[in-house]
Amino acid sequence: MTPAAAAASALGRTREALGGAAKDLRHTWTLPLSTAAAVWATAAIVLPFVPGVRVDAVAADVYLAFAATALGYCVGIGGTPVLGFGGFMAVGAFASALLTVRAGWPFPAAALAGAVAAAAGGLCAGIGVIRLRPVFLAASTWLLAWLVSLFLGAFPSVSGGAQGLVFDEPGAFLGLELTPTVHLELALVLLAAAVAAFAVLSRARRGLSLSAARQRRRDAEALGVRTARLRLGAFVGGAAAGGLAGALAADLAGVADPSSFGIFLSLKLFVAVIVGGAASALGPAAGVAIVVAVFAIAGPITSAIGVEPARFDPALAAVLLLVVLGLGGDGVVPLLARLVPLPARARPRPHARPRATPAPRPASLGAQGLRKTFGELVAVDDLSLELRPGEVRALIGPNGSGKTTALRLLGGSLRPDRGRVRLGERDVTDMPPPERVRAGVAHTRQGGEGFPNLTALDHVLVATSARARYAGAVRALAATPLARAETAEARAEAKALLDRFGLGSAADRAVALLGGPDRALLLIVAAYATGARVLLLDEPGAGGTREESQRLVRAVDALRAEGAALLLVEHDLRLVRALADRVLVLDAGRTIADGTPVEIGRDAAVRRAYLGPARL
Amino acid sequence: MSLTLQVLLGGIAAGAVYGVVAIGHTIVYRLTGIVHFAFGDLIGVGVFTSLAVAVGTAPATQAGLGGGRFALALLAAVAVCLVAGVATYVLVIEPFLARGSVLGWIGGVVAVALAAQALVNSIFARPSYVFPDPLPFRHVGTAGVVHLGSATFQIRSVFVIGVGVVLAAAAGWTLRATRFGRALTAIAQDPEAARLVGLPVRRLTAIAFGVVGALAAVLAIVAAPGAPFGTQSGAVYGLKGLAAAVVVGFAGPWRAFAAGIAFGLAEAAAGGLEIGGASLGPAYREVLPLAVVILLLAAGLVRDVVEERE
Repeated sequence: MTPAAAAASALGRTREALGGAAKDLRHTWTLPLSTAAAVWATAAIVLPFVPGVRVDAVAADVYLAFAATALGYCVGIGGTPVLGFGGFMAVGAFASALLTVRAGWPFPAAALAGAVAAAAGGLCAGIGVIRLRPVFLAASTWLLAWLVSLFLGAFPSVSGGAQGLVFDEPGAFLGLELTPTVHLELALVLLAAAVAAFAVLSRARRGLSLSAARQRRRDAEALGVRTARLRLGAFVGGAAAGGLAGALAADLAGVADPSSFGIFLSLKLFVAVIVGGAASALGPAAGVAIVVAVFAIAGPITSAIGVEPARFDPALAAVLLLVVLGLGGDGVVPLLARLVPLPARARPRPHARPRATPAPRPASLGAQGLRKTFGELVAVDDLSLELRPGEVRALIGPNGSGKTTALRLLGGSLRPDRGRVRLGERDVTDMPPPERVRAGVAHTRQGGEGFPNLTALDHVLVATSARARYAGAVRALAATPLARAETAEARAEAKALLDRFGLGSAADRAVALLGGPDRALLLIVAAYATGARVLLLDEPGAGGTREESQRLVRAVDALRAEGAALLLVEHDLRLVRALADRVLVLDAGRTIADGTPVEIGRDAAVRRAYLGPARL
Repeated sequence: MSLTLQVLLGGIAAGAVYGVVAIGHTIVYRLTGIVHFAFGDLIGVGVFTSLAVAVGTAPATQAGLGGGRFALALLAAVAVCLVAGVATYVLVIEPFLARGSVLGWIGGVVAVALAAQALVNSIFARPSYVFPDPLPFRHVGTAGVVHLGSATFQIRSVFVIGVGVVLAAAAGWTLRATRFGRALTAIAQDPEAARLVGLPVRRLTAIAFGVVGALAAVLAIVAAPGAPFGTQSGAVYGLKGLAAAVVVGFAGPWRAFAAGIAFGLAEAAAGGLEIGGASLGPAYREVLPLAVVILLLAAGLVRDVVEERE
């Protein structure tokens, strides 16, 4: 190929990629986005020229909206109730102010350094606190924001004391002096970027996985979602955005003042996020707009009764918050979206060819001498089994005999007290569920209901992320050709899987709205979509009628034919006989029989312990 | 030696307040599984109520205050804290707990904190207030300061410690020995079972919210004349009490109280700490103990805080 031809083909590919990206954008564009874009453009062009508008105040609020959008992603998508987000803004503001005032750094570098400092702080704190239960995550971030605030109060040498760190002159950016107007434009650009990033990420597999983990963390991990890692990413990204917002707001104000980065800032951001709607891209920004508007309207009234408005503002925020929580707590934007139904946009047609579902990894799952106790109770004792590719094994036993415990030991969501689990030659005993899924073992959880707020298609997409190679946050945001192609393929594959198992018509329905048997089947399809070929299913047939269980039998047969190894915990003995090649019977945690269904049916010990007079 | 005694007494006096607040946090958490972020702000409301009743909103003089007037002020504070605590639970916490909404109850508690801040800040315009002392400690020693060897300390800090221990003991005894306390223990262990055996779970929990708030406010008021009390001081008590309660994993009331004392001691020690001859200085007292608590939390060293596989 000549250089010219190579260049031409590269150009062609670029054009194709850009065209594809534009098409995706067209497909996801909605009326609220058009409205937001119009409001945004009007604000950017008209606001600086409207007489009576304090441009600097508006710019400060837009920076706040930018920070709130980042917080909204952590709270609404990531499910991490960060109560001390103002702490990150304070770190950014004072890091950049110190560098500017004391070390003479130029503005953009100092602001970026502020963002980096906040991100570093977020990383250090996040590594620890992201694994905490939500209550403690809220508590520890709240304590952190207090720590920052108390630190600034206690060390005037760092914070400049009551007066704060005063900038000598406004910074400059790209040769422009940073007047309030320039700040406003910069803030609007940042806000638009944050909202777009929120929208893109929350629809990407990364965001869907986070949503899944927010709704049912353990179910998500059993499908390979690395909850802590994804949440930490959102937390650190949010911290960086918060730090940048703090640095810019300080430059705009001309001073980094400890009192404006106190605990009230954190609470105000949290209120704005809840009021607007944490889980929608436009929610946090709308929340800031509402809070600011209410403060502005109430200001003259509180002044009239002789109270300084700033002192009374928290009460207004409290009332707003309670009203929104009373209305269901989803926030104003989702509420409006429900009240004003918009024509639903079709999802982008899967124009990609489904990726070939990866060849089954022929590995057998083995357990030796597993034991698990809960206090005095021995739930499982000395369990050994070998599950081979192409084999369907049922695990039965009376209630409380340890079936689910056994399945969870094999799936990794419980750690055995004794004994080993291996996959092929590999010891996987200490591997947590997300890693075990990648190694090839997926499990569904007893009474699992899937992720109620995701669609069936998105549910399966979350499961495919365990195999994703190009689904990182940066790639998703930049919509790189590789990431787009992989996402399109995964989407096509998920749709094909749903079609194949008779769930095609449910693809775009919310999982919460599916019937019980459809949902049970969806859980199996999702476990299969992880690429794992050892599937551990806890009561896959729960609640289904006999006709409906036919579909389950066909699905299990299809998976067996592909060489998958299945272990089912099942109560319905008719189903067990129809499905299983071998049956393992537990009683009080001990294996009392292991054989073909026919052998088990004849086994006297089993009948005594479990079946009573009934016949298998 | 002299410094040690001073640090000990000052630290324990501050720690006693944190300890009683920590008991409140512990009881609230054990009953409901929530962290009461507005607890300190409600204590602040109690303290400022008593100030308003005792001397009004004008700057007070250090000159004496009648015992009767002070008792009335204390009663008013207890009443306000009880009502505020009960209302907090019934109006903004219980509805969301019933729905199982984490963001809901956090939002509700945050709303209470904001409302309490607005109330105090709208009425009390100055950053901090001096409480007149109802008890005549100023006649003991030199204006209430006693010299023991080369150590000097405020005699009233001994009184604060005494009241703190009495309140903590009262809380512990109530939980252990009274019907009300045993009912609370039952709710803390299994609210569903408590409901099934006929305990009025909602009412008992609501009362507990009120009582622990009032207890903590009483001690804060007793301690307040020692130093200027700011409009944010209540919130800071709440925060430090939470830090103490959380670091022992919301274990029982005595451990929470001990953790509060330890926190107070750590503060006093951090202020007077000398490393290699260089003193850290008082600025560190506000920061170091809290930083240590956060580190312990983040390191997962606190019981039951980490979301883990079993």
